[in-house]
Amino acid sequence: MTRYVMVVDQSRCIGCQSCTVACRTWNDLPLDIIYNPVVSEGTKGTFPEVYRTWTPTQCMHCANPECVPCCPTGASQQDDDGTVWVDYAKCMGCKVCVNACPYGMRDVSHVVPRFDQYVRKCTFCRDRRAADPAAEPYCVATCHQRARVFGDIDDPNSEVSKLINTTHTERLFTELGTDPQIYYIPEMGGGAR
Amino acid sequence: MKHHYWEAPIVIYLFLGGLGGGIFFLASVFDLIVAPGAGPLFFAPVFFALAALALGCFFLVFELGQPPVFWRVFTTKTAIIKWGAVLLTVAMICGFVWWASYLPLLGWQWAAGLAGLLAPVRSLMIGLAGVAGFGIMVYTGVMLSTLKAHAFWATPALPVLFTVSALSTACAAIALSLGGAVDAAGLGLLVEELIREIVHEVDIVLVIAEIVVLLVMVLSFYGAGNVTAQKVAARWVRGRTAPLFWGGMVGGGLLLPLALYLAGAGTAASEVVAPILVLCGGLLLRYLCVYSDERAPIPGEERYYERLKSSDTRFMTAWKQGENKY
Ligand code: SF4
Ligand code: SF4
Ligand code: SF4
Repeated sequence: MTRYVMVVDQSRCIGCQSCTVACRTWNDLPLDIIYNPVVSEGTKGTFPEVYRTWTPTQCMHCANPECVPCCPTGASQQDDDGTVWVDYAKCMGCKVCVNACPYGMRDVSHVVPRFDQYVRKCTFCRDRRAADPAAEPYCVATCHQRARVFGDIDDPNSEVSKLINTTHTERLFTELGTDPQIYYIPEMGGGAR
Repeated sequence: MKHHYWEAPIVIYLFLGGLGGGIFFLASVFDLIVAPGAGPLFFAPVFFALAALALGCFFLVFELGQPPVFWRVFTTKTAIIKWGAVLLTVAMICGFVWWASYLPLLGWQWAAGLAGLLAPVRSLMIGLAGVAGFGIMVYTGVMLSTLKAHAFWATPALPVLFTVSALSTACAAIALSLGGAVDAAGLGLLVEELIREIVHEVDIVLVIAEIVVLLVMVLSFYGAGNVTAQKVAARWVRGRTAPLFWGGMVGGGLLLPLALYLAGAGTAASEVVAPILVLCGGLLLRYLCVYSDERAPIPGEERYYERLKSSDTRFMTAWKQGENKY
């Protein structure tokens, strides 16, 4: 089986937000929607030992998503490969899933016409991969630091498997039982590795 | 951080849903068990229940991003909202059939034939509407409490609170409308007085229960909730929301009507003012809860979204309404 995941290497991310721009462009997003903000807690440490880390985010494509079972229309769904996505034509815009996602990774645009407001979220570039099975998600392809790595965790030879099996990775809010599938290689206080 | 997507229409929907469901439930209990034959007295309350549910559904559908797709809620199997929609539909259809069977009470003789036709299924209809009504009351709270991304909602106390509040507001609405549209005399008047008295006593118990559940929920979050829930509880107990919570909800919506119920029994203060306050309290409770939708931020997320100050209205207006719309 194929199970797509992403590994995000925080020690490589320089906070340039290229992935954010790439995603907006690929998905032609309205101005008030961002699928993958790159957030930072700001400068840490005491001068001169200061550093700063970045957390590139996006939908965690949870193995046990909160947002799918609560959807009353069946618009919110998960593929066998783990990709969580929304069928825009089926979504009635009730925003239950938006309220259910603990990561805040779903949103409704308010700059589109009033009764044309469905829920959007990162699709792991489902459309792009469907058009070309060899293609990576656009944010991954765009990242010039190779901070985002996409692949099949069920394939032991994939880069993501190797990284996850050999490196210390962390995931966000695992205590909620969502089993998120974005694996972060944390930056150890900003030191070069 | 704030994670706010549901607005006032959802608040009104949750309130009206609970209210309508509660009236159906109580009407069925009285009509079938406590005072069989008291049906006509509930003609007006059931009308208000139907109106409440219909209006609630209108607000719900109005709040949807794509209202024409709403029928799809009946196509899924397990989603909790689907059950809400089914219960609402059952309650409204059965409630309406029951209500229509009493239409001649309005002096509409043309409805006599229809009423005669529907009379045999009255008990069944109010029974089904009562069960569905009970489900709606519970569902409004369960729906919020399953969304555990919002720490303040994710407590079993919330469905209990919403159910108690729904029953309490239903008692208030019944107290205000019982016997409307019928000229009760003799025995009927006695039954009406009896029901009024029971509803009065029951609402006293419910208001006390609501105070207890509300305080237990808020104060336990305040004392021992997780960081997010604790922050919300602190906002309620001693922050920005405190005047509305203590003054509006606890004072005006619960303690004051309780005092009026107890001290003013038999006067307009107890029979009109207190129920109205209870109804306002119910609406306020839904408002306070729906607007307590904080979620735990991903480290750095708050900073990210706060970079653009909402006070920068010139930019925001240009951004949202300018030429560069998409
Ligand atoms: S991160 Fe949120 S939107 Fe994405 S799969 Fe998990 S619960 Fe759903
Ligand atoms: S907003 Fe759309 S995708 Fe989300 S739960 Fe409602 S119908 Fe489903
Ligand atoms: S995988 Fe595709 S949709 Fe998801 S954040 Fe990256 S570019 Fe955007």
